[in-house]
Order: sequence, then structure tokens, then C-alpha cells
Amino acid sequence: MEYKKLEHTLSPSFPKIKLISDTIINLVGLLVVVGLFWLYDYFSWPTWAFWILMFLIVFSILGCIWSFIEPTLLYRSWSYQYDHNYLQISFGIMKKQWITIPMTKIQAVSTIQGPIMQRFNTRSIKIETMGSAHTIPALEESIALQLREDLAEYAKLKEVDE
Amino acid sequence: MRYHPMSIAFRIYQFIKNSIFIILLLFLLRRESEFWLFEYGRYAFIGIFILRVIYLIVAWFIEKYEWKDRAFHIQKGVFVKHASTVPFSRIQNVTRKTTAFHKLLGLTSLTFETARDGQDDAIHFEVLTKKDADFLIDLVQPGKQEEQSFVALESDSIDTEMKVDKEPNNETERLERTVVFNPERKDLWKASFTSLSFLAIIPIVFGAIEYVQPFLPEADEVEGLLQLVLHSKWLIAVIIMLAVLIAVGFGVGRTFIRYGKYEISASKTHIYIDRGVLNESFFAIEKRRIQGLEMEQTFLKRIFGLAEVKLISSANPNQPEGGVNVNSLYPFLPINQAYKLIETVLPEYNLNIELKRLPRKSLLVKLLRPSWLWIIATVLLVYFKPDILNLEQAWWMVSLLLLLIIIIQRVLDYIHTRYAISLDQVQWWQGGLTSRMFVTKRKNIIEMKYSQTRLQKYFEVSSITTMNRSNPPHVESITDIPTPFALEMKDWYFKRTEDVELNS
Repeated sequence: MEYKKLEHTLSPSFPKIKLISDTIINLVGLLVVVGLFWLYDYFSWPTWAFWILMFLIVFSILGCIWSFIEPTLLYRSWSYQYDHNYLQISFGIMKKQWITIPMTKIQAVSTIQGPIMQRFNTRSIKIETMGSAHTIPALEESIALQLREDLAEYAKLKEVDE
Repeated sequence: MRYHPMSIAFRIYQFIKNSIFIILLLFLLRRESEFWLFEYGRYAFIGIFILRVIYLIVAWFIEKYEWKDRAFHIQKGVFVKHASTVPFSRIQNVTRKTTAFHKLLGLTSLTFETARDGQDDAIHFEVLTKKDADFLIDLVQPGKQEEQSFVALESDSIDTEMKVDKEPNNETERLERTVVFNPERKDLWKASFTSLSFLAIIPIVFGAIEYVQPFLPEADEVEGLLQLVLHSKWLIAVIIMLAVLIAVGFGVGRTFIRYGKYEISASKTHIYIDRGVLNESFFAIEKRRIQGLEMEQTFLKRIFGLAEVKLISSANPNQPEGGVNVNSLYPFLPINQAYKLIETVLPEYNLNIELKRLPRKSLLVKLLRPSWLWIIATVLLVYFKPDILNLEQAWWMVSLLLLLIIIIQRVLDYIHTRYAISLDQVQWWQGGLTSRMFVTKRKNIIEMKYSQTRLQKYFEVSSITTMNRSNPPHVESITDIPTPFALEMKDWYFKRTEDVELNS
């Protein structure tokens, strides 16, 4: 027996968006580490600092390599589905997760768009419930706006007893 | 209406109580010190104290409360005015506490807690007479509130005879409290040992030693005394015996004071807890606010056959001073009595369902899962190779011991895990050394999460996480259950719409 894949997927440009934003973050991180190496050299910090810096650099290089593989894998793993009663989302590379949220428990829906996402005409959707918050990253603009409207509409109903 | 005038005294008492260490330091222990911090500190403290007293007196004149249209209207603050309105219907539980201070004056205190998120969401009456407290509790009883609106509605209609017929029945049924639990002496003895409360004496003794150190004779003299004691085996035996006796006596006394006078009772709509010998407190919670139940058994409690029953409620689990969690029904219930108690108090929960055990392959998954704790600890141990008890080889022994504990924990978890879903309820036991039972209704689960790691996928098992409304949200999970069951549960959750009623 297997879990079924859900109906909708993310925008096909999601891997590109993620790769670009990850690369920017990684470059900044790398710059910081290089800066620390310079400080280490300039102020002749003790040896143990060298090992910590080595660890940091190995870690960030591994992170860089991973950031080239991760977006595609994550894109393939992401899916979502919704109807009048439930929102379902599913994602995860090493550990796959399926989340079911009753519409009545959704409290706020918002769309977010950064400069890179704007370039690709996508938006991400943040869903806040009574106990948690989930984000669907990068949906095509029209789909995202439609989803926001639909969720807002379906989530209007509230249960007795709240 | 103003608060009881003794609330000024109570607040002054609290101020002194909270700053007792500073007072002792400034005016007793370092009274001779001319160090500027202590010198000016004394004046500063007296100044602050006087200002505080003036503030409290002024505040008493300004702070007021009243009730109108089934809501409390509260005014607070001297400089920044703060007015709030709390409808009675928002009040979720009632706590009445009588501390030693109140007892001395024959007064009591009262707190109404609401479900609003935020800091200042409870209504406190720090001091009031017992009569007023009874009156206020009676006033906000949600059962009564419905009754009144019901009566009002009925009187509008023509059919008055019916009402007269119906009303008294309802009233008595609603407010009638039946006692469901009183601890027995035998249970209290067991409780004193399982709670390990006799160990509580250790920090107290150390605290006391530190405290009286300046007054003790010179260190040499103490050392001489110590030598004398160490030379006589007899004396050591006696001292150890005495110490154990004091510790046990202390622990038993503590448990009896905390849990000795304890009464759980229930009416149709509420659960009530009355407890305490020195500090009396009364607690009431509305049954429909209860989102689920938990039962917890530590290793020691399992040996004695005891368990703690906790309520998961949407009201704030605001922990009052004194440390006994209000959401805990009673921490030392004999296990079969615990089941019986739940059945009588919350009959909609059915705990007699047959629970399934995990398949053999789940044990394999549990054992194969890498333990990050062990890996990191071992790497650190290998790198530092610390000498423990002058043993050079200690590092691999510690690592092995840790591994053993982790394996035992996992095997126990496998043995303890049992689960079942019924029509509208889910129940499971899990956990290693400390095992826990969780039961909730489908309509009370606000979110479900199913997950599967690569390892779990290979063995066709999954994990399920549920979320219940509480503050913070109550998250509960069960791991390595067979995937078909997880899928069954997914379908089961989709039928949640059958259980809930919607506001249109």
C-alpha cells in the first residue's frame, strides 16, 4: 500500500527560483567565512579557531553542492490538493510528509512575493491555522491568487464550539 | 466596585515576599557593609518600598470591577488606564486558592481564566471574602447562563406550565456534584515514593548550608568534628539512618500536604477539583472545553501501578504558584481507578477498545534507526576521552552504557506501543521508560500529519502526528505503525466532517 500523490504541483520554475535564492545565500555565507579566515590570519587567532573555520568551510561547500540537487528533488516531492473540506499538502525528500488541514481550522491565508519570484511571475502562499503555519512555495501567479480566494471562501465557515 | 481593602495588604506582603533575598542581604547579612552598593541600596530600597505602598493605595482607589449584561468590566492602572470587558461566556475555568495568608484572615482568592491568547487574559481577585467568592463563582457558571437565557426564551412563549415543570429538574441535574475520587492513605504512601519527593530535601539542605555558612564555627572545628564522626562506624550508621528517616519523613509529609486532601467531583457540565491542606484551592473546568486526555506512567509509577491523568484543554494551562498543574487530574491514580474515573467523568470517551500491537518489523525499524544522540556523544567521547572516576577506559564504557539505555528505551517503546481507532475516537499508548496514553475525539483534532522516512518506507511503516487545540497546541505522535493503518486513519480523518456542526 502506498500514499497517493496529490493533484496539483508547484510552478515548474520553482527549482530555478530556489536555486537562485539559495545561491545568493550561499555566496553571502561563503563571503562571511572567507572574511573570518582573513580575521583569523590578521589577528592570529588560536589554532582551534582554524579547525572551526575548516569545519564551516567544508560544511558550506557541501551545502553548495546540495543546493544544486535539492530544488529538483523538492519540486518533484511537492504536491497539494484541496476541496471544500480539507487542504492537503505533501512534501519531503528524505522524510516524506502528508499534512491534512480541515478548512474550518484555517485562520489566515496570505500570498508572498519576493523580487526573484516576481521575475518568474510566481507567488508563495502562507496558510495559518490554529496551531501552525504552512507555506506552499512558488505557484504561478494566477493559480496562487485563485487558491487564496478559494481557501478564504472555504475557510469562512467555522465550527460550533469555538 | 472596589476590590477588598485587604488586597493592599496582600500586595505589600507579596512585594516583601518577592524581595526577601534583597531585604536579607541589605539589612541583615551585609548590614555592616559600607560598600557603596549596599549603602545606597538600603536607601534606594526604602524609597522604592514607600513608593510602591503609595502606588498600591492609589491603585486600590482607582482599580474597579463591575458586572453588567453577563460580562465583567474591569478598570486597571494608575498611569496607563486599561479598561477591559470580559463576557462570562469566555470564562473557561475557575480557580480558587486560599493560601496561608488568606487562611489567616479568613479570606480567599479567585481567578477566572479565559481562552483569549495573550498575556493579560485572566481576571484575578487577589483577596475577597468567601461569600463574595461563592457569589462570583455562582454568577459566572456557564450552565446557569444558558439556563437564564433559556428561561427568558421560554417566558416569551405562551407555554408557562411546561417551564415550571422542566426547570427545577434541569437545575438540580446541572449543579449536582458527585464526588468521584478521594485519595486513600495507601495510595498516598505509594505516591510519596514514586514521586521521589524525599529527594527534594537535598537541594533544601544545600541551600540551608549555604545560608547558615557565615554563622557556622570555623572550618577547622567542623573538620575536627568530621574526623571524630568518621572514626566511629557506629556514629556514621546512626547519622545515615537519621538522614534517611528525615528525608523519607519529609517526602511523605510533602506529599500528604500537597495531595492529601484532594477531591475530584463532577457535575453534568463541569469537573471540579478541591485540594490542599495548607494552601487550599478550588478548580473548575467546563467539560466541553476538554480536547483530549493523557495518561502518563513513569518507570516508578508503573512498578507501583499508578498513573497521572491529564486533561488537554483549550483554556490556558496557566500554572499558578505552588507548582501543581491544574490540568492534571491527579498524579498518582491507581491505574484501574484512573480508567474508571475517566469513564464516569467523561462518558463519551470509551477506553475499553481492544488495542493493536505493533508488528515485529516495527521493532527492527526502531532498532535500525540511527541515534544522533549516541553518535554525537560517542564522537565527543572519542575526541576528549575524559577520565571519569580515574578510569582511562571510561569513554567507551560511557558510550556503551548510553547505547544500552537507548536500546532498552526503544525495545520498551515497541512493547508499550498499542493503538486503535473507533468510530470517532483515536487512542494510543507509546513511550519507553515513561509511557503515555493519549486519547482524543476526531472532531478535536485540528491537523493531521503522516510521515515516512526512507527506512520506514522500506519496511512499510509510517508515523502519525496529531494536533489538538490548546495553548500551546498539543502535538502527539506515534511512530512505526503499519502503513495500511496510517492510510486507514487518513480516510478516517476525512470523515471528520460527519462529527462537526457548522455555523452558517
